[in-house]
Amino acid sequence: MYHTHQKGPKRGVALYSYSAEFGLTKTLEDCFEDICDMGAHGIEILANTHIENYPYPTDAWVEQWFRLCDKYAIVPVEYGNWIDSHVLGGRELTSQEAAEMLKRDIRLAHRLGFSVMRTKMPVINERLEPVENWREIIRAALPLAEKLDIKMCPEIHTPSNLKGKLVTDFVDFIRETGTRHFGLNIDFSVFRTEFGQNEYRDPQFQPNAPEDLIPLLPYIYCCHAKFIHMSDDFRETTIPYPAIIKILQEHNWDGYLLSEYEGADKYDPGYEVGQTLRRQHIMLKNLLGE
Amino acid sequence: MEREVIQSVGFRNRVENGTVVGFQFKLRLPYYRGVYLSQLRPGTLIVDGERLEKENLIWCIRGEEYSFEEMQVDWQTHWSPTETAIIKVPKPGGLAQGLHELTYGFCFTSSYMPPALQESLDPDKESFVFLPEFGRHVNTRRLLIV
Repeated sequence: MYHTHQKGPKRGVALYSYSAEFGLTKTLEDCFEDICDMGAHGIEILANTHIENYPYPTDAWVEQWFRLCDKYAIVPVEYGNWIDSHVLGGRELTSQEAAEMLKRDIRLAHRLGFSVMRTKMPVINERLEPVENWREIIRAALPLAEKLDIKMCPEIHTPSNLKGKLVTDFVDFIRETGTRHFGLNIDFSVFRTEFGQNEYRDPQFQPNAPEDLIPLLPYIYCCHAKFIHMSDDFRETTIPYPAIIKILQEHNWDGYLLSEYEGADKYDPGYEVGQTLRRQHIMLKNLLGE
Repeated sequence: MEREVIQSVGFRNRVENGTVVGFQFKLRLPYYRGVYLSQLRPGTLIVDGERLEKENLIWCIRGEEYSFEEMQVDWQTHWSPTETAIIKVPKPGGLAQGLHELTYGFCFTSSYMPPALQESLDPDKESFVFLPEFGRHVNTRRLLIV
């Protein structure tokens, strides 16, 4: 298995980026090879998408998973899972049922060599506030997460704000429990300052300054390196990447930046997201001084 | 798999004990992640203008058959975006040789979307806003029966 002693921000790719191509024109191995081409070493998968026979993959599939990691020098970084407590139309899952679902994902993430989970919370309203029993669900899963050394991280994504109630509630929970197995995945969409004329901007959204990351760094176990527009000279024109990377480096943050391309144009016929990702990786590589 | 939701491969009449009992076709899930069966909202099938109600269609995932009622409460069986589902349609005598137009609607819920939006989901109508990563609810394809 590939291993690096290098500390600091490192490059990876979230396979969600390939959502318009995966299973149609790209296999799992194609995605691994694409990441290898970029010289990146981290990967994020979506459990419900990229694991064959999820949630019960065969041993043969798991062996193949590790063969791919070896062959392309890829580190399993983040396992994307969902707490699907609205899964039944008629009633909510109980806290215990939701925790069992979460624990099944923790075991599977561990079996595949992951250390971080992007744990998506079920929401209750238009403001995307999480279910009221989220603390109970997480608390019930914490002992297993500690035992298997998995860090469950909700993603903080636009229109949320790093200084808003959602993040404050999560940080309060981390401080109350003292846990190192629940934290944050910061999606760089929270730093977006530029919007085109025809682009949707959520009325709730207020961009964060890169400095707003600093107090949260101890709780951040990986980041979604969200990007919107890469220019022909390899700059991201909507998110202040140089300032963000500088802060991560100066504060000795150690972890993976997982590229996530979410633009709806990736569903256009003929679109090749691998080329879009490469543009961003040219920028990241240069900013990181690799 | 083909990019179209209704696949061209897998469309044929079904024969049981020497009798044509109906037909089948295959679907892919036009979503970026898999769903549990209870998240699915199957809708109406229209074949050459004839409506076939959702309660009469059987979904088949990885070789197992599920009725409409069974799917409503099944939050353990998972359907992946990389595998097709077979829809089995009871129709004595099946479909005649030649071209047929299939229109089928289905959609699915997501726990990370606002519940109010989820309650208004209609498998037989598109949502107010089209999001490519959720696909279209209603898909149509013209395919041949041999």
